[in-house]
Amino acid sequence: MTSTRLALEHVTYHYPATAAPALADVSLELHGGEVVGVIGSVGAGASTLLLVAAELAPRVLGGTRSGAVRCDGRSALLLPTPWTQVSGMAVSVWDEVAFGPANLGWPRDRISSAVDRALTRVDVAQLRDRDPGTLSGGELQRVILAGILAMEPEVLLLDEPTAELDPAGARFVWDLLRALARAGTAVLVATSDLDALPGAADRVVWLAGGRVRAAGAARVVLGDAALWSDDGPGSTSAAGAWRLAGLPTPLPLTVADVLARLP
Amino acid sequence: MTVTETLRLEHVSFTYAGRPALDDVSFALAAGTRTALIGHNGAGKSTLMRLVTGLLRPAAGTVWVGDWIAGDRRPEELARRVGSLFQHADQQLFARTVHEDVAFGPRAIGVPEPELATRVTRALAALDLEAVADQHPYDLPPPARKLAALAGALALEPALLLLDEPTAGLDRRARARVTQALAERAAAGAALLVITHDLGFATETLDRALVLERGRLVGDAPLADLLTAGVGLAPWGLAAPPLAELSAALRLPGRPLRERDVARALAERCRP
Repeated sequence: MTSTRLALEHVTYHYPATAAPALADVSLELHGGEVVGVIGSVGAGASTLLLVAAELAPRVLGGTRSGAVRCDGRSALLLPTPWTQVSGMAVSVWDEVAFGPANLGWPRDRISSAVDRALTRVDVAQLRDRDPGTLSGGELQRVILAGILAMEPEVLLLDEPTAELDPAGARFVWDLLRALARAGTAVLVATSDLDALPGAADRVVWLAGGRVRAAGAARVVLGDAALWSDDGPGSTSAAGAWRLAGLPTPLPLTVADVLARLP
Repeated sequence: MTVTETLRLEHVSFTYAGRPALDDVSFALAAGTRTALIGHNGAGKSTLMRLVTGLLRPAAGTVWVGDWIAGDRRPEELARRVGSLFQHADQQLFARTVHEDVAFGPRAIGVPEPELATRVTRALAALDLEAVADQHPYDLPPPARKLAALAGALALEPALLLLDEPTAGLDRRARARVTQALAERAAAGAALLVITHDLGFATETLDRALVLERGRLVGDAPLADLLTAGVGLAPWGLAAPPLAELSAALRLPGRPLRERDVARALAERCRP
């Protein structure tokens, strides 16, 4: 068993001046070497879960939290709005990616090699001299991700990391997250790209109304017919078509699953 | 040009400080048509959007919005004809409540009461935002903020809806709402031009595809042809959505692409 990198224990969180909790009694463990997907309808609490796990809530955002958050190692969070995560202080992509490591007080050559490695890893080395202000949304999302990887986090928290990316770019990021997990990183990723999860996630946590509705092996949770209830986010495209066709459960999740089920 | 064309680009080029972003792009959209604008990150899609909304002027060529030349009009004037949703919709919201934000656009272009109230109500209902109408837009999660900004564009009831990634981060139900709301606007005569990487959503909502690659228009075809003709999508950063893959793998008759049609064909296939 790999080490527990992040643990939330009975966490309840309220944003400032709100009566209803955004998270209610949420417990979860994240281990090195695994990718865990967080799914839910808009407003179900997935983004909040990441903000709490990163200890930005309540520390920066205010509000109140009960329960415990334990993180073993350095964590870093990719926000769903990359344009709000640019330092605004860098004249080049290289400098932007160096911003995080520089703030960790690393020696110059360690920063330099970490930045070069991260740029290559996220496949944006060709953008290194560009002004971050001139990048497209998708390019910026990858540059911000490079900046996060350059800090060499043990716990990687990502909120909709593929929302701005074209399908090839999205597949690249999912493959990258798998590779990082293989190298020991613990990855927690909130996503609405449910079609990516059967291949990309080991486990899935389904949040509804701020509570954990289901958690477990990715294929088990994604195959749960309850995901199609009113407060559920649904599941993969293949499962959706199968269900709409009125065909028997369990729901197949991928094209390959459907092919295996049909005579 | 004919008056039925809502948008026409004629040999449009644009350059950012020596870096060409759009190169000799020409196409036209008729009223009531539904078009996806697709291509790699950095292909020039958002630049095109800024030209049509009057935030940039073309270096060469002409952008016609109806019988207006976009480059000769101020953005607030163009808003009478073009409702837009920018990629960074966060930066598009500024009122204290979602309701106020949605009302801002139509009020600014002079829509009188009670028509204004009707439009706002209709736009909020179309996207299932009534429950958050009195909330501050920034108290909403980012995907819901994008929906609020989209409601503002819908409430303009413009001739052209120009949307950049309207479904980023949205769940299935919200996506279906967006599809339905856009279908209604198109049925009412609006031309839709939607920048999207979400080809599943595009398949459900749109029927024509324009493909931009490094600033050039390299494809203009029915979306279904693009997804079924085995045209290599990969060079454009695209992949067929799972249902298109499923339809092809099962050789479903007529190669259906939309969920409802794929489900019907699946049910047919499994009938004893």
